[in-house]
Amino acid sequence: MSRKVCIVGGATTPFDYGPTGFESIEGGAAECIRETRKDIPEFSMRDIDLMIYSHFSVHFGHQLCSEWIIHDHLGLVGVPHYRVENGGNTGGSALYAAALAVMSGHHDVVGVVGWETMDSVSQSQGSEFIAMASDIRYELMVGGIYPIYYAAMANKWMKDNNVTEEDVATISAKNRNNAMDNPKAQWYRNEHKYITVEDVMNSRLISYPIKKYDCCLMSRGVAFVLVCSEEYAKKVNPDGYVTIDGMGLSSCTIRAGDRLNFPGWTERYGPGYPEMTEFGACRNAADRAYKMAGIENPLKEIDFGEIHDAFSTSEAQIYKALYLTDENNIAQFLRDKTTHMYGEIPMNPGGGLMGYGHPVGATGLMSMIECFYQLSGMIPKKHLSKKTEVPDPECGIVNSHAGTGTSISNFIIRRV
Amino acid sequence: MNETVVLKKKEGIVKKPIFTEKKSYRPVNVKETGLAFIGHEISDDGNAMNQFLHYDQLYTIRHGWNSKFFIGLLEGKIWGTRCPKCGDTWVPVRTHCWNLDCNLEKTEWVEMPLNAKVHTWTIAGWSGRSSLKRLPIILVYAVIGESKVAIANELHGVKPWNVEFDMPLKIVFKPKEDRIGVVTDFHFEPADGWESSPTNKEKERIKELVEPVYRWVKTLE
Ligand SMILES: [Zn+2]
Repeated sequence: MSRKVCIVGGATTPFDYGPTGFESIEGGAAECIRETRKDIPEFSMRDIDLMIYSHFSVHFGHQLCSEWIIHDHLGLVGVPHYRVENGGNTGGSALYAAALAVMSGHHDVVGVVGWETMDSVSQSQGSEFIAMASDIRYELMVGGIYPIYYAAMANKWMKDNNVTEEDVATISAKNRNNAMDNPKAQWYRNEHKYITVEDVMNSRLISYPIKKYDCCLMSRGVAFVLVCSEEYAKKVNPDGYVTIDGMGLSSCTIRAGDRLNFPGWTERYGPGYPEMTEFGACRNAADRAYKMAGIENPLKEIDFGEIHDAFSTSEAQIYKALYLTDENNIAQFLRDKTTHMYGEIPMNPGGGLMGYGHPVGATGLMSMIECFYQLSGMIPKKHLSKKTEVPDPECGIVNSHAGTGTSISNFIIRRV
Repeated sequence: MNETVVLKKKEGIVKKPIFTEKKSYRPVNVKETGLAFIGHEISDDGNAMNQFLHYDQLYTIRHGWNSKFFIGLLEGKIWGTRCPKCGDTWVPVRTHCWNLDCNLEKTEWVEMPLNAKVHTWTIAGWSGRSSLKRLPIILVYAVIGESKVAIANELHGVKPWNVEFDMPLKIVFKPKEDRIGVVTDFHFEPADGWESSPTNKEKERIKELVEPVYRWVKTLE
């Protein structure tokens, strides 16, 4: 017997590289919970009966089991806890675990804390650490940084789908410009400027067709989300809680090249999907989430999304994997600015990974928090203006993404 | 009556490999220092402190059943594996078949031909610290011989703007003395007789993107 799963609150620290004012992870976690308590004063730390910690890499954390430090600091000694790690989809996977815990009836109030401290090493060392999530025996020394694998996938995908560099550059500009309305966003706190498609096109080559402004940011940050039963949600946030109506988690190969012919995929989805350029796990996770939430026409039934724009190209690939468009219409879909604030389905109004930042373990939580703020009418309170508020939304999608599309989760969130 | 029981050390229960051939190409100045706090800094307002922790670790990657592939690289050979049940062949190799119908059938080694075909490509204008001076680098995912999957590696011997989808490739190994048993012991080059197509808009765009990279790399010397 499965129960309804709700989200009643959450917050992040500012995301940044270098000093944020919240350098200690346990201090950052405490501040996220204090902010959540301001939003929902009825929530007491005593209510938490399970803590799930979302953290990607000990290489960045320079501390094994750093979740134990946070847990003690929060005064939750005795409350059960464990850590979830799943690459860039660590946050999505931690939320998935929290939802399962509530759904099962075994837990009522689950706190999820996520963080990454990527500025504890140099940017180039950080890039090498992230590349250690490739199969290092075959791929670490070939290219040596993650954007290269994404670029190779995107290059063919763009050709196959008639998508141009300018088309995806609109996504880079959109997300960074959205972030200019979000005081916690790394882009707002640092570069702090509006950019154009031309700026993206003129930024330095990272790996063709990806340029600097097509890439997300390396960040430090902490986030907290409170996941609970509906009974508890009605108690602490009766007018603002949201429900996780659908969720899906799926996997694909670690080495993108292996995707050319994985017999298991063909068995499940028929030949041809995924080509190594498609995010098959995203499509599969969407199938599961849509089925659970009863969504038949995602473009019509979903009002907005917070999705994993590690690269502008991947955001475009995700649109297709989520069935928002297909190979015949994707280019026009981008040119019509369908996912801009004034479009049919705004994507990443919070700024996304390119604008808000990408402290890996906190990222999926950040996306969920932004989605929650939109649905519970909190954007005017959390952003600088109403410019990035989706008008009267009822349903949002949250997407979290790992590897070269190796693990992907999708959540359908609705306002009650 | 006073018999003593001698417990003999048992031998031969597990036969372990002995490693006589050893090579080290480690830079001489690298040392394992272990964990050490090696410095700090304090902000001018006295409110923030950063501390530096040094951590240098040597890992042993035990290739085990995959070893033949990496030993093959030293010998200038590309080894793949083949499932005797379904017949699929792969490079990178799998020691067991991943077709669920084959129930993790053990695979057999097959020597692959030294030719391949580009599946997709990119041109890196940025990379990890160790590769910066070689930029721009052409990276391709290519299918070797009859492999069912693609492998990533560098393409040499062609200008970045001339790489093409589906172009035929040959596999070229470094000189024997320079090989260290890693995938970068080999690279791809265009197959003999291949010629690039005439220039077009995309090629011009790529030239425009890589020119600053060439200029920047010169400043590194
Ligand atoms: Zn087989």
